[in-house]
Amino acid sequence: MKRLQLLRWSSSALSARARAGVRLQQNIARGARYQTTVSPAAQSESGQLADEQSFPPQFSSNPQQSKYALPSPPVEAARESAKLAALHARLYLPSRLPLETLARSLVDTSADPNPNFNNESLATLGHDLLTYYTSEHLLCTYPRLPLTVIFAAMYAYVGPKTLTAMAKEWGVETAAAPGGEVDPGLLQFKRLLPGTELNAEGATMRPNAHQKSWRKSITSRIVYDNEFGEQPQTQAPVDAQGAQGVSFERANATFVRALMGSIYLHAGRPAAKRFFEQHFLSRHLNISELFNFSQPARDLSRLCARENFEPPVAKIISETGRKSRHPVFIVGIFSGKDKLGEAAGASLLEARSRAAVAALKGWYLYSPLNVRVPSSTEEEGAAPWKPVHVDLGEVIV
Amino acid sequence: MAACIVCPKRPLLALPFLLPSCEPVALELRRNQSSYRRTKQRLRVKPDASFGASNQSRDHIIYNPPPTAPSVYQTPTKFLPPDDARRALRTDASSGSENLDSFAPIYKSSPEKTYHLSPSDIEEIRKLRLTDPMSWSRWKLAKRFGCSPMFIAMVCEAAPEKKEMQKQVLEAIQSRWGAKRRMAREDRQLRRETWGRDE
Repeated sequence: MKRLQLLRWSSSALSARARAGVRLQQNIARGARYQTTVSPAAQSESGQLADEQSFPPQFSSNPQQSKYALPSPPVEAARESAKLAALHARLYLPSRLPLETLARSLVDTSADPNPNFNNESLATLGHDLLTYYTSEHLLCTYPRLPLTVIFAAMYAYVGPKTLTAMAKEWGVETAAAPGGEVDPGLLQFKRLLPGTELNAEGATMRPNAHQKSWRKSITSRIVYDNEFGEQPQTQAPVDAQGAQGVSFERANATFVRALMGSIYLHAGRPAAKRFFEQHFLSRHLNISELFNFSQPARDLSRLCARENFEPPVAKIISETGRKSRHPVFIVGIFSGKDKLGEAAGASLLEARSRAAVAALKGWYLYSPLNVRVPSSTEEEGAAPWKPVHVDLGEVIV
Repeated sequence: MAACIVCPKRPLLALPFLLPSCEPVALELRRNQSSYRRTKQRLRVKPDASFGASNQSRDHIIYNPPPTAPSVYQTPTKFLPPDDARRALRTDASSGSENLDSFAPIYKSSPEKTYHLSPSDIEEIRKLRLTDPMSWSRWKLAKRFGCSPMFIAMVCEAAPEKKEMQKQVLEAIQSRWGAKRRMAREDRQLRRETWGRDE
């Protein structure tokens, strides 16, 4: 298989302003500007000759003024920002990811509505990558998880709250207001006005969406809702003088997604995957704490009937202080000769219920040996794909 | 008096601190002072069998795990799919060959399911409960048809006026509860909800 020429791609991924700002051309232009005493109008003409991209003349005529006129920092400022270089080094990003793209991933749509200079396209790619890698990891590692738990685990791994916490841990600071003169190492977005309704739900494909009181089934959430099982939030409408603000959480989450997308574009798939494993999968999530059963004993007996096991029987393994104020019972649930689960409780009912919960968790948290994910076959020389364990699904009573 | 209970047979003269001239503080201090021999005696716990000298003279692994609740991430052997390699690795010895018959069941007797009710019986249950809900309660219906009240609740529902009446009765009872009883009931409900979350 032929390798993809990502370096060649990366030039197209960079915006036009970045392509124009090649260092050699920059230096020549600056040198010419310093050596001559011609008027700013003539300077702008020579600058236009050097750049393939035609800037509006008032921008390049006076650099100080032009910076204030721009909605986001110019591309040339990325090389001079200490914050940006520090962030690049701190995250141990691949050297093929240029500082200009890192600066672009820090510019939100609300700061710069021009799609050539904001991070929206990078964030879309990064979001798809993050959710793909997370969902394949969850489905292959725990093939029997119920769908509600998968939604919760997806939210815990790549939900907006987690991404915001990660951006905070990485030391990404936010600018008070976006603008051309701002340090490009700061996250730039226009803030929401105080008192704005945050949880406005966006458009949905769901039929009967106006019926707010109707129950939303889990199955319909797969079809109509996003990867976290939630109705997607509305996109902030763009008014005449520019984009409306976004929340702090949303801006930070968009930045982290855009960073993932830019790593994929510039450094390739293996680097993106390594970044995902080091920063996202390495976060500890105890999946067994995401469960909540309302009728565990009934669910377990339904499960045993479905799988043709003997019906579960609760037996007392040991007990102490039955007639005292604080008795402890250890109850095991047996199906035939095999023990399915055991737990301790202060009453026989509690111990039995907890033992049933332990048995159900033992069923749902089954993990096969030598877990492989589908994206691992994309590497060169990878072993052919073998189908993973597919379960019947969760217990439906 | 604790001292008298512990050693009542000693002569009083041999224990001078028991005399009334002694102060009670000093007495307590004297009694709680543990000697070296007593400490050693208390610490002399019989070791677990796996630590002892086994019949084989070679080195062996001591396996004596502390008593903990089993991890939910360790799937029971019965729940492993048939093609899983761990099925063959788990032997009787590793699963703990406990004597199942020695464990007492939680319920005294597990009633055998008879499945003796026909659809016409169920129709009659529904009719009785709907027409005369005052005289035909769940318990009475269960007694008459030889099934559990749970089954009655599964096949039919109470009449709406009966439900309304029961609701009023419950409200009348709850209105007589004080703050303590109400909070205790609510706490009990909250504790019961933590069972399913395994907290």
